[in-house]
Amino acid sequence: MALLELDNIGYSYVKGKPVFEGISYSFDEGKMYAVMGKSGAGKTTLLSLLSGLAKPTEGKILYEGRDITEINQYEYRSKYVGVVFQSFNLLTKLTAAENIVLSMEIAGLHKKDEKERAYELLDDMGLDRDEADRRVLKLSGGQQQRVAIARALSYGPHLILADEPTGNLDGETQNEIMDIFRELADSGKCVIIVTHSQEVANRSDEIYRLVAPEKKTRRQKKIDAAKAAADAAAIAGEDVKPKNEGSANTGAKKSGSKKK
Amino acid sequence: MMSSIASSGSAEDGSFDRDAFSSALSSVSSLMAEELETYAELDSVSSFYYTVSVSFNGGDVDPIGGSSDDDEDEDTDDTDEDAEEESDFTDIPDGMGDMRGSMGFEIGTMGTEGDFTVIGYSSDEAMTSFINGTSIIISSDTDEDSEYDESYYGTMFEEGTEELTCVISYELAVYNSLSVGDTITLANPNDEDETYTLTIVGIYINSQSTVTDSSVISGFSSSTDSSNQIYMSAAALEAILSESEENATVETDEDTGTETTTALPSQVSGTYVFASVDDYETFCEEVYEAGLSEDYTVSSSDLSSYESSLLPLENLSTMALYFLIVVIAIGAIVLIVLNIFNVRERKYEVGVLTAIGMKKSRVSIQFMCETLIITVTAVVIGGLIGAVSSVPITNSLLASQIESQSATSEQQTANFGREMGGSMGDVGDMPSDIDVDTDGERTGFMGAIDSFSSATTSYVSEVSSATNLTVLVQLLLIAVLLTLIASAASVIFIMRYDSLKILANRD
Repeated sequence: MALLELDNIGYSYVKGKPVFEGISYSFDEGKMYAVMGKSGAGKTTLLSLLSGLAKPTEGKILYEGRDITEINQYEYRSKYVGVVFQSFNLLTKLTAAENIVLSMEIAGLHKKDEKERAYELLDDMGLDRDEADRRVLKLSGGQQQRVAIARALSYGPHLILADEPTGNLDGETQNEIMDIFRELADSGKCVIIVTHSQEVANRSDEIYRLVAPEKKTRRQKKIDAAKAAADAAAIAGEDVKPKNEGSANTGAKKSGSKKK
Repeated sequence: MMSSIASSGSAEDGSFDRDAFSSALSSVSSLMAEELETYAELDSVSSFYYTVSVSFNGGDVDPIGGSSDDDEDEDTDDTDEDAEEESDFTDIPDGMGDMRGSMGFEIGTMGTEGDFTVIGYSSDEAMTSFINGTSIIISSDTDEDSEYDESYYGTMFEEGTEELTCVISYELAVYNSLSVGDTITLANPNDEDETYTLTIVGIYINSQSTVTDSSVISGFSSSTDSSNQIYMSAAALEAILSESEENATVETDEDTGTETTTALPSQVSGTYVFASVDDYETFCEEVYEAGLSEDYTVSSSDLSSYESSLLPLENLSTMALYFLIVVIAIGAIVLIVLNIFNVRERKYEVGVLTAIGMKKSRVSIQFMCETLIITVTAVVIGGLIGAVSSVPITNSLLASQIESQSATSEQQTANFGREMGGSMGDVGDMPSDIDVDTDGERTGFMGAIDSFSSATTSYVSEVSSATNLTVLVQLLLIAVLLTLIASAASVIFIMRYDSLKILANRD
């Protein structure tokens, strides 16, 4: 059984205007997946669904065969899935080690040696004790990303989600980080990386492309004229970018999947 | 708590139409000792005692401060006394001028005021000055320094005795070379031939000087000097009174129809003691049901003086309460606003914590705890500073309150040309009295006279402690409550936050 299975899921911020719909896919342990797509294709939205931060408006996400909406979303996030954010999302007031200990405590792992375990994890990621006891803000971007990965691993989840983990990093650091993810996948974890970097994608076992072949324009409610124009464009079936104020979620095309 | 019943007769009328006033007074039924005792049966009364005051002239004793230093015979002595009363009136302060007419009227009706006041006590409890220690009987026990001659050593008369025994003041004893065991003869001021002989069983010394205890007989004669007060059992004095009444001759003034009696002028003062204000208030209602005429009003100068002594404190307390409410209200608003700012500031933290799986309720509790820790620390520090500074601050605030209160009262005094009656009341150990004259004519008048004797109200001017454990606990409860209210505001924010949006906006 796949670790994580998407069963015809769809998501829309505004009813009737889905960001994407009808996605079915399965993720297995021991593999690294890359989710690619243009800006606005719904990459981050998909990651939010996978991490339980949002619920799909259509379909189901199954974790080990269980609908994740049946699992308490906090419990799911704190125990089953490790998320590495693009902007790290570490607590800047705490040290690197404290961030990791906090994560363990939230997961309910109150071990006596949790501090030691945090140091070990950080050591694995290439941070020594001195660095582990520094405030997060005093660390470099690459170091912060390592701390974020260490935090995601601290409670031993089988599923690792990463949102543009190398987006803020230089080439060399990027490679080091990708090495870490590769190792994780090889050690039996399911790693899903959202990226628009082809290099990253190339190191993955599978690439899932989120594309927006079919555009849907979100209404700009205040201006009827704009709406009419958008509707006209939709009828014409042109592949145009949204004309309105266009947030990332405005247009989406029906996804297609391309397997390796 | 003690209370008095005074008639609301024409004294409040203001005009002194002689005939109207006189008939009004006559119509007021007198309250006899027996009647007072009836009311004492009421459940609300915790104890009752009364005193009977009778005015006498000295038979073989001279009053202190009297004019008869020489051994004149009694007939001339009598005229001397009359003359003296007239001269006493000229000593009345100017401010009292407006009431002088009424005083004259009273003397006219009442006849002569005596040199001595003999006070009969129904029980030992009634002898407040001995109970509170301002007066003591000279005895071997009390005279440890052998300050007084042994011939002065005696005891108090037996409680409730009908024997004609009495105690007199040390000053009077010295003045007349009397000692314990001697007898004194007192005469009816209305009839010098009617005399009574009392045996001295004890001599008392009074540490308080002169007139303060003169609520009993407020005539302006030497009898107001407390040294001229002779104490005896009420039972014995009543025996004298009834004998006097039997022998009295009654004359009726043809012009006014007013009766003038030669019987001893006397006055009964009953004192009701109540356990609580509630009991007193119950009594106020019950006493009318028990048969007291509506012509009387019930009042307690103890209660009113207690209340007036608390006035500055109550003003201060009210002020402090309003201040407290304002501070709490402002504090609550500030706290809520600060909390909201705090949460908004730490929105990102909330987003991260919930994103990595911390429950929102737990995040809320954490925020609440942080606020609570700050609040409790603040309460402890504030409570300590408050506890230390509250007493001096309260006292200085109280002092300014008293100052303004006194200024008001002085202004009123100036406006009235005398001490204001009624509301200000007397303060002191004076028992409050039911002022009743046995011949019923002076009853209405006593209320008016009482306000003359008003001493300056002594306000509660010192607060020894303003903070105790209860106050601190209340303080803590208020603080915790405020924190919870303020935290509730931040909790609402936390609950509404969507970590996805917070983190997405940051990216």
